[in-house]
Amino acid sequence: MKSKSRTLTILVLVTLAFLTVAYVLPVYVVFVTSLKTPAEISARQYLIPSTNLQIENFRTSFDLILPSLLNSAIIGFSVTLLCLLVGGLGGYYLSRSRSTFARVLFILVGIAVYLPYQVILIPLVQIVAATGLALTHWGLILSYLILNVPLASVLLGTFFLAVPRELEEAAEVDGASKIQIFFRVVIPVALPAYASTAIIIFTQVWNEFLLALTLATPRTTTIQIKLAEIKGSFVAHYELQMAAALITLIVPLVFFLALGQYFIRGILAGALKG
Amino acid sequence: MAQSRRFTLKRKRRESMSIPELLVFLLPLLVFVILLYGMLAWTVYVSFADWQGVQPTYEFAGLKWYRTMFSLPRFQADIVNNLRWLVLGVIPTVVLALFIAYLLEIGSFKGVETYTRTLILYPVAMSFIVTGTIWSWMYQPDRGVLNTILRGVLNPIRDGLGLDPVLGGRYITNPDTVTYWLIVIFVWQYLGFAVIILQSSFRTTELQEMIESALVDGASRFRILWQIIVPNIRGGILVLISLLLISALKVFDIVYVVTFGGPGFASDVLAFFMLIATFQQHLVSMGAGLGVIIFLIAFIVVVPYTIYAFRKWFE
Repeated sequence: MKSKSRTLTILVLVTLAFLTVAYVLPVYVVFVTSLKTPAEISARQYLIPSTNLQIENFRTSFDLILPSLLNSAIIGFSVTLLCLLVGGLGGYYLSRSRSTFARVLFILVGIAVYLPYQVILIPLVQIVAATGLALTHWGLILSYLILNVPLASVLLGTFFLAVPRELEEAAEVDGASKIQIFFRVVIPVALPAYASTAIIIFTQVWNEFLLALTLATPRTTTIQIKLAEIKGSFVAHYELQMAAALITLIVPLVFFLALGQYFIRGILAGALKG
Repeated sequence: MAQSRRFTLKRKRRESMSIPELLVFLLPLLVFVILLYGMLAWTVYVSFADWQGVQPTYEFAGLKWYRTMFSLPRFQADIVNNLRWLVLGVIPTVVLALFIAYLLEIGSFKGVETYTRTLILYPVAMSFIVTGTIWSWMYQPDRGVLNTILRGVLNPIRDGLGLDPVLGGRYITNPDTVTYWLIVIFVWQYLGFAVIILQSSFRTTELQEMIESALVDGASRFRILWQIIVPNIRGGILVLISLLLISALKVFDIVYVVTFGGPGFASDVLAFFMLIATFQQHLVSMGAGLGVIIFLIAFIVVVPYTIYAFRKWFE
């Protein structure tokens, strides 16, 4: 239903121009500012790039946030890997069993995917503090795991539903067990699904704020906490705030730009339209 | 006959999982789900207890803290703000997304679609803390980006006309408008997400054929959108609205990083108040109660959505 009407073309161009300003301007200003000196920022020529690029701003911010970058990486990768394992197994069960138990479990898991974190925060803090997990990365890893396993199960299960059963039946005739079938037949076919799920879970954990704010100790501070801290303690230093924001953003953004298709597929599967 | 028998045999074999197999697949997920619902029940109980201060107390106190909570002006202000978020965070996003998705469908030419998708979808990868940090500076009334640009563009013109220079908006420092400006950030961040979901519901052959034949019949483009597309992508729109409602309800990071609930508690929301009540005021039972209220609102949205997902899954 493409059309060549002139009004339509103008409408498209106007919309594009508007969206471009709305979505490029903030990031452009942030980028330009992150390379200025405080004096240049005071001159309020926000749209004009500096002629004297301050790469040190990034070095200063990077030094400030490096420990928390590492913490977020450790936590993000651990949670993602464990979620893929547990969510894969559980999602496979949900996608293959038609029993009443599976149906009830699906409803429970489906509600859990969208559980507001506030409603489990108090017990979580108690558990993590009482077990001493709060002192190590495991406190946050375990907490994120509990909250993201339902999502991983639903995402992977949605993809498993689309895996042709004939493949599994052929393996079954050869006498393979369900577990062998899952690891040798289903997972290799569903690798793109694992990529999508991994990106979604990792981004979610990397970007999470509430749990990190209440559970992180100085040794396990995550990147988002650090960024909020920098915003609070370097109030007038917009160049450092903006450089730190860009560094924080870079990891998920690289995933998004390099693996956009997987990202989008993950989003659609999350909306149960995959 | 023979064929149908073979079919049932196959089905039977596929259904059966031995006990050890069942344990491997099911147990890990089950443990996490039980933990999650266990903690949910724990919070519900705490909300009926009398826990103030750092030391946990589980003495039953009935509705004591709910009564206190409902009588607080801050709680009532939060309810109003949460309603603003739910309505204004969701409806404009859906309408704009519908418009953009439709425009891309009918008026797109080479490269436009990829460009637009990347352009408006990248904020999906950003955290609310990053967006909040950036937009705080956009909004800052004195040195902020929006007002600086506004003054730079408008004031030379106004000067020429002999008018007083403008100062620009107060944005997040004005208690009457602060919530709306925060919602703008949310809409900005979720628009691309909304477009992607709607686009995927456009792309069914049945719908494309219906649109083709309506075009042949000479229906206007607006009528096609309103009378053919919207009714046919009801499912997609409902999914989108549910997801946006839940996200708008859970928003707390934007409030935390941009205004910290201020000025006063003008931009406060339940999710933020829960944190303050629990960890700053140490009214843990009331914090739990706030958590339960947030959960109940989310529950109203999530249940129909889960039933919809359930039907698709087990169809």
